Amino acid sequence: MFIKGVGMTKFDYSQKPWWQFAFEAAMEALKDADMKISEIEAIVFSGVSSAAGGEHQTHKVSLLSDLFKTNIPIIETPSVCSGGGVATWTANRLGFKNILVIGADKLVDNRSEITTDWIMSAAERIIEQTEGMLFPVQNALVWQQYMEKYEANMDDLALIAFKNHQNAVLNPKAYYYQRPVSLEDIKKSPIVCSPFRLMDCSLSVNGGAAAILSKEKTDIEIIGSSLNTDYLLTFGREIITHFKATRLAAEAAFKEAKIKPKDIDIAEVHDAFTSVELFSYEDLGFAPIGKGAELIRQGKVNLDGELPINPSGGLKAKGHPISATGLAQIYEVVNQMRGKCEERQVKPLPQIGLCHNIGGVGGSVTVHILRKIKN
Amino acid sequence: MFYQCPKCKKIWQYSIKNCPDCFLELKRINTQKAKVIGVSKVNIPSFLHPKVPYFTLVLEDEKGNKWVQKSSKEYKIGDVVEYESSQDKNTVAIWRIKYDILEGIERVIELLGGLKIEPETKILILPALTFSKHPYFAENTTPQFLENLIRYLLQSGGKTENVKVAGQSFDEIPIEAIAQKSQLLRVCQNFKILPLDLAKSNFVKKSINNFNFEVSEELFNSDLIINLPILKMGKEEASENILKVLKKENYLGLKYLFSKEEIKENLNKVLRSNLNTLSNYLTIADAEVVQKPDKFTTFLGLILASFNSFNLDRVFAEISMIKDLPECLKNVKIKDIPIAGRQIEEVQLTFY
Repeated sequence: MFIKGVGMTKFDYSQKPWWQFAFEAAMEALKDADMKISEIEAIVFSGVSSAAGGEHQTHKVSLLSDLFKTNIPIIETPSVCSGGGVATWTANRLGFKNILVIGADKLVDNRSEITTDWIMSAAERIIEQTEGMLFPVQNALVWQQYMEKYEANMDDLALIAFKNHQNAVLNPKAYYYQRPVSLEDIKKSPIVCSPFRLMDCSLSVNGGAAAILSKEKTDIEIIGSSLNTDYLLTFGREIITHFKATRLAAEAAFKEAKIKPKDIDIAEVHDAFTSVELFSYEDLGFAPIGKGAELIRQGKVNLDGELPINPSGGLKAKGHPISATGLAQIYEVVNQMRGKCEERQVKPLPQIGLCHNIGGVGGSVTVHILRKIKN
Repeated sequence: MFYQCPKCKKIWQYSIKNCPDCFLELKRINTQKAKVIGVSKVNIPSFLHPKVPYFTLVLEDEKGNKWVQKSSKEYKIGDVVEYESSQDKNTVAIWRIKYDILEGIERVIELLGGLKIEPETKILILPALTFSKHPYFAENTTPQFLENLIRYLLQSGGKTENVKVAGQSFDEIPIEAIAQKSQLLRVCQNFKILPLDLAKSNFVKKSINNFNFEVSEELFNSDLIINLPILKMGKEEASENILKVLKKENYLGLKYLFSKEEIKENLNKVLRSNLNTLSNYLTIADAEVVQKPDKFTTFLGLILASFNSFNLDRVFAEISMIKDLPECLKNVKIKDIPIAGRQIEEVQLTFY
């Protein structure tokens, strides 16, 4: 399959209903593809909205039918934070000529306890959450296991946060656009759950993103697409320092694409927490196991490095509107490969890009590899 | 609690019955002692954990099984976590139910020093049978709670022919209707245990102070009485449920003369002085899903047990963070109650 068009809303705390985020992103993707909705054969949607705002619509496909005034097949593939990736993975396999993929969420619409409680519906409630396991705690404990075993420290994570904030400052659609954050601010941010500081956590925001997949040849081809899962109970897994699902998904996507990790020019990596970005360097094959910190220390993953990672600002500083994230990664990589990213444009123009989208604490993972087609 | 396939050795924390590959029944693996391999001090309050800081530990047993546990006490990596049982009859045991009620029952009884059950031990179970309501209303003891208690008693050596499940209706609703709708009747039938309407039992007179009680003879004919209430926030269900051992007319008459609190306190004294030993009268309380003061239900995932029902009610009030204590609990000092198992701060909730 090929990508014909992409769209994305600004990621922020706008209090529009989820469907407006979905509609705006889809309209931008249609314009980008130079298509009308009547040319679309099916829609795959992913969303979990919303929190306490009273709009917890559970028949979103019918609402989308109404918005687009269409009777085509519309299916939902909610998979929390990996929803956008899973929707793309699904669309890639459905066999339609032109298919619209949308991810949108308005989850932040109340005090943080409410939003957190909703987000935590993606984690295990009876066995783990009752024991104090919030997402930051789970990730902090995984990172602690990593640090016990490998050579890495909290300063490495601060560098990752700083890099992503620097990139977001240049991205007009990122929450932190033109809002610089210093390395000192990051290192001084409060400890939320040891060893994590506030600035190790990504930013929950609202937003939408979309892509149009087509059988017709365009300038961007999906050459690898994979989805893997892992157990919900974090410490019941075989591997507790990394995410096995990322390793499996990466292996499968690289095999399908018939390329190696060294062939990747640019990547959007699911940095829900700074630690996840670091050990994902290893799970994705960009660094040997236990050596991920070297990439950030040596600046290799900076915007001007040999493998720019999260040029958009990532979930950390662009923002993380749950189901929209996976499609926002595709939006960024497509625009980078098309040379449309202005101030944050990676040079030379990347030819092969990777999108890594995680649901929960590594419970579901998609990897998509995109290639720029030469004219 | 872990569940392991005897053939492929795969391990689950979910209480499934059979391995999806081998189709064999899983073996239950209970862990008593664990080493701390990870600790996070949590400073962010959430709905489930409003009090901060607290600690979330990653624990590992000698077989390499890992799980997480909240603690109000700070631990370091390498420390050992284990729970000691208490011989003090005023102790309240607290444990978390994680889908497996049987494990919860096993744990709280163990924390109270265990129960000696012989095949000839006569056991009287008193579940809460109060309203003719389906189990999801959390009005009556849940069928799964009763079922697992009976399973525990049988696996510990008890015989069904020596187990009685008893109740009594204090209003116009027939006890049979309550037993049927609450599904407790079905549990009794499944185990071939004859349910007993205490109203039809003989009553014996017992006096203390100015109180003349008529108490079901079944209590004094039993070697072990298990008070099995379902807890409700803002109420004292553990000590309330035992009132059902009184003759209905006697109870209604006493109500004209005394407050419910006075009746409960004195009945408790009568039972304590007339039963053979305190170990004969144990309360095991269902607090997995409980009623809030507004009657809506909420998940708590807890089980409490004690030989002192007032202490149990007081501990539950503390866990529920109820501001206005029921009258009969006002004199029960929380600081004086020994706790075994999970600590109150670890399981306390403010938001529902």
